[in-house]
Amino acid sequence: MQPTLQGMSIDSVYQGMKTRNVADSTERLTAAHVTIAGAGGLGSNIAIALARIGVGHLTLIDFDQVELSNLNRQQFKLSQVGMDKVTALKQNLQEFNPFVTIDTLVKEVDHDNVAELFADADIICEAFDNPSAKAMLLDAASEFFPDKPIVMATGMAGTHSSNTITTKQVRPNVYIAGDGTSTGAEGLMAPRVMIAAGHEANMITRLILGETTI
Amino acid sequence: MVTVNGEPQAQAAGQDILTFLQARQAPIDNLVVELNGTIIHRPEYEQTLIKPDDKLELISFVGGGR
Repeated sequence: MQPTLQGMSIDSVYQGMKTRNVADSTERLTAAHVTIAGAGGLGSNIAIALARIGVGHLTLIDFDQVELSNLNRQQFKLSQVGMDKVTALKQNLQEFNPFVTIDTLVKEVDHDNVAELFADADIICEAFDNPSAKAMLLDAASEFFPDKPIVMATGMAGTHSSNTITTKQVRPNVYIAGDGTSTGAEGLMAPRVMIAAGHEANMITRLILGETTI
Repeated sequence: MVTVNGEPQAQAAGQDILTFLQARQAPIDNLVVELNGTIIHRPEYEQTLIKPDDKLELISFVGGGR
């Protein structure tokens, strides 16, 4: 007997989930490996977008656990409070798309482990909250992987206009989304964080499909 | 003329990058420094002198996201 998912053959589920993807994207998306540093407001939303379109391999890195205060913007459930974020996120991603390979690391990224943590990634996705961690990752990534694409974000707080969030290409391989100025002290809420996450996820998708311009 | 993020800053010439950044009185660990298109890593700040026609770009980050 054929293995099934939700009463349908695995192959029909796999094919059916791809039917609205952009033409000729499946092969490159499936072959891609994106490592996402941070599994909070940015990382959880980026991971869901990439998992849904079938990016084949995601590595999720975060040292933190799900808290009530995360739920206004991060893609976790009330029932997941207290879990490691990467474990909870993997669970959710597998419900959206079971055909993605997902590695999880409960770990803090620092200068000394960047070379090891991102060696296998085709694209590095920065999704931290701490500005010094963002700068550290760009500094270290440019040292160990000078040409590897890195997609980052800065400034997505408050309720400022959606249209102030842009993606900039600051170096040939470095892309930074956000408004560049609003800080977490203003408060962070799902709609605007998701805009920045969408910018990052779309830039990553473009890179996977061979588009290097913003 | 030295430029910093496109703005002329003549007084930066002759300073090392660490001294220049510290004089700005803004956090320096939120920044990545590009000198004439090359990223200068943190251990190199002190020994890297800013020359009269250098172009310095400070890539800065604010908090919020995770």
